Amino acid sequence: MANPVVAKRKRKSDFLTALPFMGPALIGLSVFVLIPGIRGIYLSFTEYNIFRAPKFIGLDNYTRMIADPVFWNALWVTLEYVIINIGIQTVLALFIAVLMQRYTRSTVIRGIILLPYLFSNVIVALVWYWLTDYNLGLINSVLDFFSIDKFTFFSDVTAMPTIALINVWRHVGYTALLIFAGLQAIPKDVYDAAAVDGAGEWRTFRSITLPLLRPVLAFVMVITVTGSFQIFDTIAVTTKGGPIHATETFSILISKTAWGNNEFGYASAISVALMVMLSIIAFAQTKLLSANQSDMDR
Amino acid sequence: MHNFTAVGVREAGSWLETENIKQRKKMKVFKRAVAIAAVLALPLGLSACAPAAPAAEGTISYGLWDSNQLPAYKQCAADFHKANPKITVNIEQVGWDDYWKKVNAGFVSGDGYDVFTSHLAFYPEFVNNGNILALDDYIKRDNVDVANTYQPGLASLWTSPDGKQYGLPKDFDTIALFYNKKLTDAAGVDMSNLDWNPTDGGTYEKAIAHLTVDKNGKRGDEAGFDKAHVKTYGIWMEGTGGGDGQTQWSFLAAANGWKVNDGPWDTNYHYDDPKFQETIKWWHSLSEKGYMPTFAQQNGVGWSDQLAAGKVAMASNGSWMTGSVFGAKSDKFEPALAPTPVGPTGKRASMYNGLADNISASSKNPEAAWQWVKYLGSAACQDVVAAAAVVFPAIPEATDKAVAAMQAKGVDVSAFSVHITDKTTFLFPIADKKSKINDIMNPAMEAVMSGKADVSSLTAANDAVKALFK
Amino acid sequence: MSDKIQTKRQSRNQEASESTIKRSLGSKIFGYGSLTIIVLVTLFPVYWMLRTALSTSKTLFSDPTSLMPVNFTMGGFARALGLSTNAQALAEGGSGASVNFSLYFMNSVIVCVILTVCQVAFSAAAAYAFSILKFKGRDAIFFLFVIALTVPGIFLVLPNFLLIRELHLVNSLFGIMLPGLLMAPFAIFFLRQFFLGTNLSIVEAAVIDGANHFRIFRQIVIPIAWPQIITLAILQFIGAWNDYLWPFYVGSGKPESTVLTVGLGVFKSQTPQGSPDWSGLMAAALIAAIPMILLMIFAGKKIVGSIQASAVK
Repeated sequence: MANPVVAKRKRKSDFLTALPFMGPALIGLSVFVLIPGIRGIYLSFTEYNIFRAPKFIGLDNYTRMIADPVFWNALWVTLEYVIINIGIQTVLALFIAVLMQRYTRSTVIRGIILLPYLFSNVIVALVWYWLTDYNLGLINSVLDFFSIDKFTFFSDVTAMPTIALINVWRHVGYTALLIFAGLQAIPKDVYDAAAVDGAGEWRTFRSITLPLLRPVLAFVMVITVTGSFQIFDTIAVTTKGGPIHATETFSILISKTAWGNNEFGYASAISVALMVMLSIIAFAQTKLLSANQSDMDR
Repeated sequence: MHNFTAVGVREAGSWLETENIKQRKKMKVFKRAVAIAAVLALPLGLSACAPAAPAAEGTISYGLWDSNQLPAYKQCAADFHKANPKITVNIEQVGWDDYWKKVNAGFVSGDGYDVFTSHLAFYPEFVNNGNILALDDYIKRDNVDVANTYQPGLASLWTSPDGKQYGLPKDFDTIALFYNKKLTDAAGVDMSNLDWNPTDGGTYEKAIAHLTVDKNGKRGDEAGFDKAHVKTYGIWMEGTGGGDGQTQWSFLAAANGWKVNDGPWDTNYHYDDPKFQETIKWWHSLSEKGYMPTFAQQNGVGWSDQLAAGKVAMASNGSWMTGSVFGAKSDKFEPALAPTPVGPTGKRASMYNGLADNISASSKNPEAAWQWVKYLGSAACQDVVAAAAVVFPAIPEATDKAVAAMQAKGVDVSAFSVHITDKTTFLFPIADKKSKINDIMNPAMEAVMSGKADVSSLTAANDAVKALFK
Repeated sequence: MSDKIQTKRQSRNQEASESTIKRSLGSKIFGYGSLTIIVLVTLFPVYWMLRTALSTSKTLFSDPTSLMPVNFTMGGFARALGLSTNAQALAEGGSGASVNFSLYFMNSVIVCVILTVCQVAFSAAAAYAFSILKFKGRDAIFFLFVIALTVPGIFLVLPNFLLIRELHLVNSLFGIMLPGLLMAPFAIFFLRQFFLGTNLSIVEAAVIDGANHFRIFRQIVIPIAWPQIITLAILQFIGAWNDYLWPFYVGSGKPESTVLTVGLGVFKSQTPQGSPDWSGLMAAALIAAIPMILLMIFAGKKIVGSIQASAVK
């Protein structure tokens, strides 16, 4: 990034110029995210049921949280979801992006790939809930037709992976197109050189495509990981957190604690824990992102 | 059975009877009044002898969740507006899940519905949080005979522990067995008078076993039945029922002589009672035998669609589902109803749940809201609801009319009403901290029904529930 | 690097995908085979929605695995469009609630268009500040927006709802738009990534020529980033179009403030144990997606193409 012009410009600060540019966004951020967020942090130190004034109780919510097996369960369950969802989604999206780059220029196919993203989470969840039903779902009917044992998609073991895969179906096209964009930016000369060297498909992918794609992948990961941690809709319309807490992710737990049990203070504490965790992950990812900025610098 | 309500009331003691006749006379006058001059109806019928109520006017909002009932209540609102031209009711219908979000948001913001259809599972918390108005002053002022107007017991469901009345009953529901007559006929099973016990399941289990068919066509009670490859289940499991088991197991446990606690608002729970645990043990055994889907297998499309698809022969559920189940009639599915089985107590049992309308504490027009609530609880509106043949209204005569209206539609609902005639109902467990109880009981029951824990683990769950009230 | 060179390189990149590496027959079969499978897996559930939308709700489950509609009817679509009477709807297993389709549709269009335009414009401005301008604390301020991505959405609904109420904007379209009107963290992040990659020498040259940053932003940076801005606008539009919970809380009290997703919510389950009006629900989902599908067909090359044109870089 050693641009001499930029280096020279560093002498004077653009802060006053920047103010009108970022002002509206900062107002929006403060009023609708930061202030409610800070209020949430305050509420996490109180006992609060929204109908009575919050009562300050110090760290009680946090000590309760640390001792609460349901909280730790939510952590593991959410991690399980994120790992399966992001892992498969990213690999598959990368695969689709490479396929599209190598084999087709058809915008129709790109449109089809994006199609699931046009339907809301709730609709997608309902359609798949039906398709995966043990008794009258199409998938099990097909298995049954071929005399293969039917599969229970929503047992305490399989429910979370099933939900993670349903969301892969909805989001993979979107992710693939973002990655595809990154692929298009890789200069052709690099591939030419690889071809001269006689590199095969796999080696070209591993030693050229993947490294050059890292900044794009990092950006995509920040977006998808922070979204994935907040999984809510799909579970709310299917398993609602069951069986036996198997799909009770952070958002489901927060919603239950706040609206179901009227414990807004405790729900705030769980939210703060989630925010802190996600901020650390996002910080690490953005660091990774800027560290790799130079990989693709022209 | 046409007159089951009258029988029920007549047996309820003589002083009650006279009160009831009085009430009916009042109602008759009332109805005639509606017919002749709608404008005069309300003052004549219900508040004729009350001190002049402050004139109510304005627009109020009313919320309900069941779209099947929307046309009837729209009619009620139109009639009400005719009788009270100064009051306009805006009805908003929102599906079940979103409905409660909306009601809660309304409490927080203070501009929710003035009047809303309420449920026994939620109203105790509304009372605790001061979200809804007690109606006692209005009831007294307008001389509304809450004790005798409705089916026995319903009004008491809406009474808080300190004796305040929060709602006027609007309808009620009981439990019966929905089944596919095509399948029972083919199996030669008679559903009309089943009995049950927790040891061998009685004729109830025999029927369930015989109705279960594996993919080779072998029935559940035949040698060589393959429980791993069931094509049609004898009975459906609709979740675990949590701490209530309203449609799942409460009718069995109660017929086994069990009570969840010692009455409304009581905090002494009995999930540790062997009578409860043996009932659940038997219920889970149906899954193990392959007569009922396992907990994991039932997750997915709802029970009524499974029944209509012929994947299951019967399912226990509530009277509010009658319309949609009977609407799904096809060449595969011939819907029919049977009463729940007679248990070791020698009687059937059914949970008795009733809805009522609550007034938001934040309503800016409580007087108009009350006039509307009173109208909803009156025969004028409940007769309209009865004619729609969707639910059973709470006023006995209106109940009869609803039964007749359903009969006219070709649906025999005596399996539901038999519980009123025979007085075999028990009340929906109203409790404080309901959602916390569910937080304990749902996973505990899921563990048992998934075969991950023995029924004895429910004793620990019971201790946890009791600990909530210490 | 000038625009000309950039375009040239872009076309070269496309050639790269065609010719650089020799593809064996096996790799071709693998590639096209995989693509076919992916397209089928993507399309099948959408077909299933269509097949369900064209079935009769009441008797739908008399043949739950039929690939063709069960008792074909357009009733689901008629209900979703608010064209059937109450009695007709109930007879087909639909809801007794009514849908004022054209009003809800217009509300959705108004909300989504205004929201998208304002959000993208303000976010682009902010992204400009966070990438091209230099000042102390820039990255720290930007990181606040990254943190905003981590605040659980479910957590913000209540305080924002109360705020909108304080402003007397409940049951208004403006109340639905307001929280997202001034920015979207994703949009700022997305455009900043792009601006960071754009060539700064043009900007520098402009500064030396005496142009101020507003002009540079309007006349240089926006035109260069136009495909990315359009792409972003489409993505944000889709998101806004599908949003349910927030417009439900804020706008569902009056027909004039009910957006399409919320209005079509009547097809969801009406009773605790009841199943939804499947055909009405699926018809509603398909109809709600039509504006976006049309957008993709008519502007397909541009939209999907702009995503490909280095959205990130």
